[in-house]
Amino acid sequence: MTAARLPDNAPFAPEAIAQLNRVIGPATTTQRAWLSGFLAGMEAGNTAQAPSAAAPPAPKQKLTILFATESGNSEALATAAKRDATRLGFAAKTLDAADATPATLAQAAEADSTLLVIASTWGEGEAPQRATRFLAELMDPAAPRLDGLRYAVLALGDRAYAQFCETGRQIDTRLEALGATRTAPLLETDLDYEQPAATWLATTLPGLRAAPIDAQEQSVIHVDFGIPAPTAITKTNPFAAEITVLQNLNSSRSAKQTLHVELDLAGSGITYQPGDAIGIIPQNDPRMVQDVLTAVGLSGDDALHEALASRHDITTLTGHLLKQLSELAGDRSLLALVADKDALAAYTTGRQVIDALRDHKPRLQPDQLLQLLRPLPPRLYSVASSQRANPDEAHLLVSAVRYTAHGTPRGGVASTWLADRRNVGDTAPVYVKPNTHFRLPEDTNTPLIMIGPGTGVAPFRAFLQDRDETGAKGRTWLFFGDRHFTHDFLYQLEWQDYLKRGVLNRLDVAFSRDQDAKIYVQHRILERGPDLHAWLQDGARIYVCGDQTHMAKDVHAALRTVIARGSNLSEERAEAELTQLRAQGRYLQDVY
Amino acid sequence: MTEAITLSKNEHIKARSNLLRGTIREGLAIPQTGAIDDDDTQLTKFHGIYQQDDRDLRAERGRTRMEPAYSFMARLRIPGGQVTGAQWLALHEIARQRGNNTIRLTTRETVQFHGIIKGNLQPAIKAVSDAMLDTIAACGDVNRNVMATINPHESPAHAAALQLAHAISDGLLPKSRAWHEIWVEGQSVTSGEPEEEPLFGPTYLPRKFKIVVAVPPHNDVDIFAHDVGFIAHVKNGAVEGYDVTVGGGMGMTHGEPDTFPRTADWFAFVTPDQAVATAAAILMAQRDHGNRAVRKNARLKYTIERMGLEAFRADVQSRLDFPLLPPRGATFTTTTDRLGWYEAGGLAHYGLWIENGRIHDTPDRKLMTALQAIAQIHQGSFILTANQNLLIAGITNRRAIEALLAEYSLDAPQTQTRHAAMACVALPTCGLALAESERYMPTLLTAIEAAMADAGLASEKIVMRMTGCPNGCARPYLAEIGLVGRGPGRYNLYLGAAQDGTRLNKLYRRDVDHDGILAALTPLLQQYALERLDGTSFGDWVIRAGHIQATTAGNRFHLDLNPELAEAA
Repeated sequence: MTAARLPDNAPFAPEAIAQLNRVIGPATTTQRAWLSGFLAGMEAGNTAQAPSAAAPPAPKQKLTILFATESGNSEALATAAKRDATRLGFAAKTLDAADATPATLAQAAEADSTLLVIASTWGEGEAPQRATRFLAELMDPAAPRLDGLRYAVLALGDRAYAQFCETGRQIDTRLEALGATRTAPLLETDLDYEQPAATWLATTLPGLRAAPIDAQEQSVIHVDFGIPAPTAITKTNPFAAEITVLQNLNSSRSAKQTLHVELDLAGSGITYQPGDAIGIIPQNDPRMVQDVLTAVGLSGDDALHEALASRHDITTLTGHLLKQLSELAGDRSLLALVADKDALAAYTTGRQVIDALRDHKPRLQPDQLLQLLRPLPPRLYSVASSQRANPDEAHLLVSAVRYTAHGTPRGGVASTWLADRRNVGDTAPVYVKPNTHFRLPEDTNTPLIMIGPGTGVAPFRAFLQDRDETGAKGRTWLFFGDRHFTHDFLYQLEWQDYLKRGVLNRLDVAFSRDQDAKIYVQHRILERGPDLHAWLQDGARIYVCGDQTHMAKDVHAALRTVIARGSNLSEERAEAELTQLRAQGRYLQDVY
Repeated sequence: MTEAITLSKNEHIKARSNLLRGTIREGLAIPQTGAIDDDDTQLTKFHGIYQQDDRDLRAERGRTRMEPAYSFMARLRIPGGQVTGAQWLALHEIARQRGNNTIRLTTRETVQFHGIIKGNLQPAIKAVSDAMLDTIAACGDVNRNVMATINPHESPAHAAALQLAHAISDGLLPKSRAWHEIWVEGQSVTSGEPEEEPLFGPTYLPRKFKIVVAVPPHNDVDIFAHDVGFIAHVKNGAVEGYDVTVGGGMGMTHGEPDTFPRTADWFAFVTPDQAVATAAAILMAQRDHGNRAVRKNARLKYTIERMGLEAFRADVQSRLDFPLLPPRGATFTTTTDRLGWYEAGGLAHYGLWIENGRIHDTPDRKLMTALQAIAQIHQGSFILTANQNLLIAGITNRRAIEALLAEYSLDAPQTQTRHAAMACVALPTCGLALAESERYMPTLLTAIEAAMADAGLASEKIVMRMTGCPNGCARPYLAEIGLVGRGPGRYNLYLGAAQDGTRLNKLYRRDVDHDGILAALTPLLQQYALERLDGTSFGDWVIRAGHIQATTAGNRFHLDLNPELAEAA
């Protein structure tokens, strides 16, 4: 866990900063929130209650909170930041990058607004799909000057990828280049972004005022850390859901293992909508825990075992971790490695923490080991069920990730936990991760084109269950694909039933390994081009779910071609049509 | 038939099929299922195609939320079993790309592919067509693949037998263009002219119909096991005519004594130019008189039992403008194949034993790859035998072929008994199988080889055949040791057939498992080793020694049983 620290420019003496850091650093979120409320309440002359609002500053400072979101984390943070800013007396509004242009920012600057950017980076350093257009325009040489605009950028990312927080970095650099004024250094956050982000916002928001902040205001800062009500189920307060069904849907002849998991949510109060994800907080493989301990020369007590099994990411190897390790171990070869960017990237590829520990054999103390390892991130799975159809259940479709790298068999933490070490009757800690940008249309007559090969089909099972329950009239068309028709046709009998009953109107399938030539969903999309184009003309929404690296790009290209052919447009114009569809919320992606 | 009868379900399906089209083409385009419409599964048989499912996977399919693991078996029509090297390479590719990467040699001189999923079916059959082959009438209520004694290089009579097989197969082929439309063109091309089936009529035959041609004394085609047989009579090196046999057939149903295997009757003698017309006349007589109400009773053998041979002969004679002369008779020696190297017609030939006809690569034996390599250099032909073996015929480069046979260990020695054995496909693909056959036969043979070796019979040949159900694809009722599946791991054991293929065997043990089979056979083999006179076959000996009564005719197959079996029946 990254310790929170007061910035060096905090208005305290260096010794006082150090003293405060000793207290604040290890404090829990609740402790910090209480402390904030306590201090604010003292100022208000009332120690019994947390303050409800800060002293109103005048005049109200406008704040634009621009977010670029893929999975919804940036959007949720933007909403929280708006709440905090409002309490601090800002006139704050959030702005989705999907709806923004650089001109919007220029106008905001004209109107004396300041700017907070919260941007996530996706996959191998890519911008969120919804933000690609905005980003391209911002990077364009023709982008307007933003002189005088005061801004700060909060970047979300995943250290497992080399281009960590790339989108946030680019925006931060570009805004400066366009003449805007940075009021706080860029914050780069890893998967455990919540606490650092909250801390950073608490100190950064006041700095976004156009006018200097007086001491009086600063002393009554109230930051809402979004502490949940005790009963609410969240990532930090998950619900132990019983696993009632755990069934591999692939045939025993398949090389793949795709688990249909049914979770009992009865009594949890959890609600979700089709398109939402369920977060699962897994446990590490106890053999890996033992291997890690052995590799650093520790035997480990129960508490350490528990911490490594349940709370720390003991597999993901990042450059950041190696740098920390090189500092801890002082290993020469490791120092050389982290100094060479290319070698570092090559080394981390396909390797895990255990490999680095075995290669460099550092002798670590328990707290050093824990400090090295980031928190164990939950894994998100699109819900494969509708709560209308299954009120007390959530169904997940989980592909057991298994592969061999550097001659060693590897497995996905959560998927192999479910596949190998969970049984029916066991529980799994879960919470809901809403996905507001991947929802069924409110108009039940809207035709749906659903493209979901592999586990990407999960949300579409939820969509169809939901439409079956509501008796929606809109037509539905599913594109599914996998390796082998006979052995990998996930939920085949259910699609057959939906087709028979008219809940699903069309199905096209692509099985890549049933013949010499690989056939994927994008090939079927191209084959069905004229019909698909006609559906689009009828107002159909396109949903794409599944693999981001190849599938989503290939499907995108196929859709572009379908539109180009169908509307007799150039590929460039067709691309613009797709961008337009995306802006209209008629082309939605949930890719991973 | 003039009396009012209730036609069997299949008769209605045929009648409304629009000459074998049904809705096959529409069914192929439905993406969510690997199956086709139920009625269409009866029609595809006429196109050589069976819908099957992997029975090994049945139990798990409900749990995995998938329908049964459907796939298709496609059987080719190869009269006389002869294909070129180029055609063999095409078959190899079809099996690899579209099937389950195996080629199965059948017991009727052809090949079949297994495990073709629906999406690959049309491309597979199209590839067959591209190789100048087809699957027309390889199954279904039509004249099936026509067999001939191999090898055409052996004598002009053998060559004539092959020619006759082609002539009969082509002459008795359905005229419907359905096969071409569905599998080759992928669309219906209406010529405007109404289609007709002058030979069959719109409902084809009551049941399957099988014709073979034999050149004595070799009975590799098992002449008496088929509906119609032609037996060549050779004079001065040329065929002067054929004896015709009728009414043979293997299939029966457990527990239904009015169904039985039957050896064919001697019927007539015809000249070579009368042979095709005679075959057609017999086919039409069966078309008109065969039982269309009860499929279990629909084969020609039952028609002849019901009408009597003389009445049947009169009916056939009435359809011909030449007299059917009395048969002359012929004698046979063996039903098994000539294996290994031999010379004939100035060329070398190699009879290659294929265990149960299954051609595939295993980790320790790359049979399929080996045959591909041979096909790439072989100038002659490949001939598929009636005993699930493969004759590499007309070899001009013996050394090169020999080297490949050795390289892939295809020439490893086996016992005569293993060489002579046959087993049907059965599990997991055949929907009719009650017990294992192909997958079990090698294991059982190993045990029987050991028992034979113990008895001092290691170098003897005992013809042993196994099927997973009583339909008799591997002609088990003409084996000296016949095993017919009754249920998982259980078989009926039949003994006493003649090695020349003239006499059916008889039930010796009912419902025995592996140990029961060995317990029954071991003392017999030991006694046979002591008592046999030189040259007496095991099948003859069990009758002479009184272990079983000879089956003198098909309709006595279920009679004359040993007392303990008769009571249980």
